[in-house]
Amino acid sequence: MSIRVNVRRYRELFVNLTQRELKGKYKRTILGQLWSLANPLALMVVYSFVFTFIIRMTPEPGDPSGLDVFPLWLLCGLLPWIFFSNVVNQGMGTLLANESLIKKVYFPRSVLVLSSSAAIAVNWLVEMSVLVVALALFGAWTVFLWLPMLVVFMALLAVFATGIALALSIANVYFRDTQYFVTIALQLGMYMAPIIYPVSLVKVQSDRIGPLFANVTLLDIYRLNPMERFIAVFRRLLYDNDWPAFDDVIACVLWAAVAITLGMLVFSRNQKKLAEIL
Amino acid sequence: MSDIAIRVDHVSKKFRLYKERNQSLKSAIMRGRTSVHEDFWALKDVSLDVVRGQTVGLVGDNGSGKSTLLKCMAKILYPDKGSITMKGRLAALLEVGSGFHPELSGRDNVYLNGSILGMSRREIEMKFDEIVDFSGVREFIDQPVKNYSSGMYVRLGFSVAIHVDPDILLVDEVLAVGDESFQAKCAEKFVELRKAGRTIVIVSHALGTLASMCDSLVWLQHGDVMATGDPATVIAAYRGHDGP
Repeated sequence: MSIRVNVRRYRELFVNLTQRELKGKYKRTILGQLWSLANPLALMVVYSFVFTFIIRMTPEPGDPSGLDVFPLWLLCGLLPWIFFSNVVNQGMGTLLANESLIKKVYFPRSVLVLSSSAAIAVNWLVEMSVLVVALALFGAWTVFLWLPMLVVFMALLAVFATGIALALSIANVYFRDTQYFVTIALQLGMYMAPIIYPVSLVKVQSDRIGPLFANVTLLDIYRLNPMERFIAVFRRLLYDNDWPAFDDVIACVLWAAVAITLGMLVFSRNQKKLAEIL
Repeated sequence: MSDIAIRVDHVSKKFRLYKERNQSLKSAIMRGRTSVHEDFWALKDVSLDVVRGQTVGLVGDNGSGKSTLLKCMAKILYPDKGSITMKGRLAALLEVGSGFHPELSGRDNVYLNGSILGMSRREIEMKFDEIVDFSGVREFIDQPVKNYSSGMYVRLGFSVAIHVDPDILLVDEVLAVGDESFQAKCAEKFVELRKAGRTIVIVSHALGTLASMCDSLVWLQHGDVMATGDPATVIAAYRGHDGP
């Protein structure tokens, strides 16, 4: 079988599995696909209530967009985070969920993880489109100029998240503890990244404490979190409508490259053994 | 040689029999290991050639390694020693209805299952009517498959699988699905495939069926090849041995 036939064949399998995921998920619900918007909207309402009404938090207005709407500011960080967390969480479980398939049919196992990511990415694309329209309606119409850049970074985040999901899906086959551990890690992760609060608050604390050791500050450590970089870029593009910081861009590219390389390496080393181990 | 479709070359396959198996991190750390195991050789240095266009049956008692050999051929398991080379497109019928999603319609599942088994979308489109007619569930093709009777479910799964039309077909005891008339249809389809020059490897316990279908048989016992050749001779030898 030539490689070209192989690629075409598995591309079709990938598309079909993605469709299975999308079509099967909201079967027998009245709202159907609209449910995928419900979760981020509910979170947005809750956080907005808590952080603008009870705890008065005011992130800087968008510059140069001039936007000053907390729910929109929140969503610019929250939607990428939810996407990342879903890809990792669901991708991690796909090998276990498709155990019977893996034991009975040969195909590249990575297609399972990739199609899980793709199905989530489709929903994310819808969410982000709604967000972009909302941003424009509230006055940040220049957001449309940044759409090409936005797509590039969405792709980068998808690559980053999928790389992690590939590695964790294998880990989860060996140790079922992985899924519970990662669920907790993701919950903590949400608060360790500037999603519901601006990074400037971390900077205030960091400056107050001063350097921890040598020249390393709390903020430096905080910024090791790859999601911090991604969210900074998304906020810059969507909320501020301006060029993201150069070091953030480099960090995103590097993190994505490292994650996918590691993920593919771990996966390809272990995929032959999967039918036996599961 | 160009007329060899499958070459199994000194294949050995080892399984681990776990005395203690821990899939949790706690036990791995506490005991410093994930498991205690013993090696079990399911296949021991098996070599055989299947000539293109032949139908070969694998017989043997439960646990003799037949299915392991078939799964190695299907690339689901990987041999620890030796190699298997295949010439041509391969399809394995180890289970019917692989990947069926219960909430999706029969139609969607035909496409899904077809692509899992390696058919392209165009191919499935071309064969769609044939597949549905063969399965005999046309009236229900747009219903979710979870509402199917178990017979309808396997018939649809089997119809997709049998229409993959590969050069090499690996079959594991799935012939016995559906009612009598459906089984007759399946037998007919196999005759058709044989006439079309397909190479078929079958694992089954139905010696009578194997004798009539196969050009040659391979008898496996505890991972060793005991006899190969003419069906009647191999069956006689297999029946003659004194249990496992």
